[in-house]
Amino acid sequence: MIKSKKIGIGISILVIAGALGYLALGNFGENLIYFYTPSEVLSLSHDYYGKKVRVGGMVVDGSLKVVPNTLRINFKLTDGAETIPVAFEGVPPDLFKEGTGAVVEGYWDSGKVFHSNMIMAKHSEEYMPIEMKRAGVELPKKDLMKSLQR
Amino acid sequence: MIIELGYFAVITALMVSIAGILAPVIGLKTGNHGWIRAGRQAVTVNFILLSLGCGALIYSFLSRDFSVKYVVMNSNSRLPVFYTISALWGGHEGSLLFWAWILAAFAALAAWIHWKTHPAAMPYLLIIESSLTSGFLALIIFLSSPFERIFPAAAEGMDLNPLLQDPGMVFHPPFLYLGYVGFSIPFSFAMAALLSGRLGEEWIRATHRWTLFSWIMLTAGILMGAYWAYYELGWGGYWAWDPVENASFMPWLVGTAFLHSVMVQEKRKMFKVWNLFLIIVTFSLSLLGTFLVRSGILSSVHAFANDPGRGVYILIFMSVVLIFSFGTLVIRSNRLKDRIEMESMVSRESAFLFNNMFFLIATATVFLGTLYPLLVDTLYGTKVTVGAPYYNKVFLPIVLVILILMGIAPMIAWRKSSRDNIRKNFLIPAVVAVAGTVISAILGIRQVYPLAAAAIVYFVAATIITDMYKNSSYWASHSGTTLLKGFFKAWYHNQRRYGGLLTHVGVLVLILGIIGSSSYKLEKTLILKPGDEFTLGHYSYKFHGLQDVQGINWMGVEALFNVYKGNQFVAEMRPQKRFYSGGSQMPTTEAAIQPRHMGDLYLSMTDITQEGWITVMAFQNPLIHWIWYGGGIMGIGVILILFKRKRREL
Repeated sequence: MIKSKKIGIGISILVIAGALGYLALGNFGENLIYFYTPSEVLSLSHDYYGKKVRVGGMVVDGSLKVVPNTLRINFKLTDGAETIPVAFEGVPPDLFKEGTGAVVEGYWDSGKVFHSNMIMAKHSEEYMPIEMKRAGVELPKKDLMKSLQR
Repeated sequence: MIIELGYFAVITALMVSIAGILAPVIGLKTGNHGWIRAGRQAVTVNFILLSLGCGALIYSFLSRDFSVKYVVMNSNSRLPVFYTISALWGGHEGSLLFWAWILAAFAALAAWIHWKTHPAAMPYLLIIESSLTSGFLALIIFLSSPFERIFPAAAEGMDLNPLLQDPGMVFHPPFLYLGYVGFSIPFSFAMAALLSGRLGEEWIRATHRWTLFSWIMLTAGILMGAYWAYYELGWGGYWAWDPVENASFMPWLVGTAFLHSVMVQEKRKMFKVWNLFLIIVTFSLSLLGTFLVRSGILSSVHAFANDPGRGVYILIFMSVVLIFSFGTLVIRSNRLKDRIEMESMVSRESAFLFNNMFFLIATATVFLGTLYPLLVDTLYGTKVTVGAPYYNKVFLPIVLVILILMGIAPMIAWRKSSRDNIRKNFLIPAVVAVAGTVISAILGIRQVYPLAAAAIVYFVAATIITDMYKNSSYWASHSGTTLLKGFFKAWYHNQRRYGGLLTHVGVLVLILGIIGSSSYKLEKTLILKPGDEFTLGHYSYKFHGLQDVQGINWMGVEALFNVYKGNQFVAEMRPQKRFYSGGSQMPTTEAAIQPRHMGDLYLSMTDITQEGWITVMAFQNPLIHWIWYGGGIMGIGVILILFKRKRREL
């Protein structure tokens, strides 16, 4: 009697856990957003066209063009080696300006222009694209300290 | 000079806390009680030393000592005093020190409260708490000291990140830490139970209040963070499933499961191993939460600049805690056989079991989404983020099921519920739910999730109200008074139960706020020149122009909007753009928020052009206040349980 109840509870737990696990994992794959550098984006195959991705880099100085009286902004994003043009429509975060790091989310549609409607705003000022961080965070930090001491 | 004293105090604290580990160990080995007393004194001394350390840092902030690196990085001379003090936990190094200080305070407090009542657990508690303290202090001293000086001194500090200059952000971290660190006491008691072999219900009774206190602090901390995001970040929302938010949500989820499953052990002596497992997981996730946010472990996604040494240290620290606590649990688990079997699927025990299961699955969902990117980056070097739709899709059904269980579990009988019991408790609520759903559908709620949520909320609310009515009328007839007096009597005799039910009411209100504000949100992004008008929902907004504004340490521009409903003037709204005078040069967006029928009209000015044109995001967020009100009700419910009078018969 008690055995069969135990089995009953065990089975119902397994069924529910299974269903929820399926729900979680089933939604997982399609909601993964990959992160690339401009160089990596340029080498993406056609399969990635139209798939939502993120690209991180520096906003090239002098490349930022705001289309007057629209929400459209065009600019170039670089990782030092390669540069891609970005067509952005929407509201950029406060931190966004030329010469700083930015992560844009959108589509590498035509293989020519990156279409985006979201630029990441982050909590920290120390935010910077990962590849540049690898090049050395300490350098900009040291510059900062130096400039303070002047 | 003062800062060196603080540093010295913290270094001394590390040595004292190591002594605080060794003394109780010797005490246990030799049976000499003096050593255990020494362990208690170590904890008290540690609290004093760390208070000095924090005090020295606060003093350096207030005296604007720009030869201290941490002060330079997180404040400047124009920063208001309030934010200058809170800058203590504004950065990585200081917040770790602050964490350690709370840990020392709680350890001393717990030793003081439980010294006489739980002598057998004390040496173990002292060992665990001192170990945790020394782990944190070593990290602070060797890898992230807030006491470092720079030479020559800077003329001026940089500034506290302007986004953090907000009351919401001042109180958010301390409350989270009170929750995180608070869980260390039930954790220590659990480890004490495992190590000493006194595996009864003692540790659960002893830590009942600690658990509740930590849980409500964590709840408050999370809600304050959401409130801050809503008011300060200017994107109209309050929760983005950001890894930093998830980090605090995970211990909350498991902590909630723990809070409920201990009741089963108290009443039925079941779930023994399970409860130990849950508290270990809760505290481990609290540690993980601290480290994820404060160390930059998530650097691959967030790229906060950080020192790799810290990451390695934290990984080792976490591994030691996990291996030690789970190892002890596994070794001792054979002594922990539940002698009582579950009697029926239709019982309160099983309702709690399913509650726990859903909370853990929810946690696993968040855990997967938060740490998968880290794993993939480490293994393959691929960078990936998990989008918010993943969480929303998985969470909604889980939340709805948990809500149903919230209606069932408090009312269903222990052991085995008879048909009669079920009919008596759930027939009226079921009818209310069906009727309410039909009415809501007629009134215009047609989307699936809001309608399902409404049905469940009606059901749960009806179970609570019928239960209160029954008990009130019982006490009224029992003592021959009115129903109202009976209600107070019922409450008085059952404060723990009713405090719990009130907390559930808070959850219902909060969930209604979440679902209402996300399902019926309206939003628009526009470019306007002075004189332009637009409408959103039933309201029209007229943009009159810009004007300059000024604060203590910032300059700003605000846009003037008049809001009308039809022809009737409703309110003036002034979204701002601020430029803080510190080193950061970063503008911040201050949204204008106008409460309106439990919801908000919300304007956020994101851009200003030279000709005086502006970009505005306009939102209408119905029911959003219910989120904060729900949190408040939960707080009152928990306070009622915390301050319930002691039962004489026990």
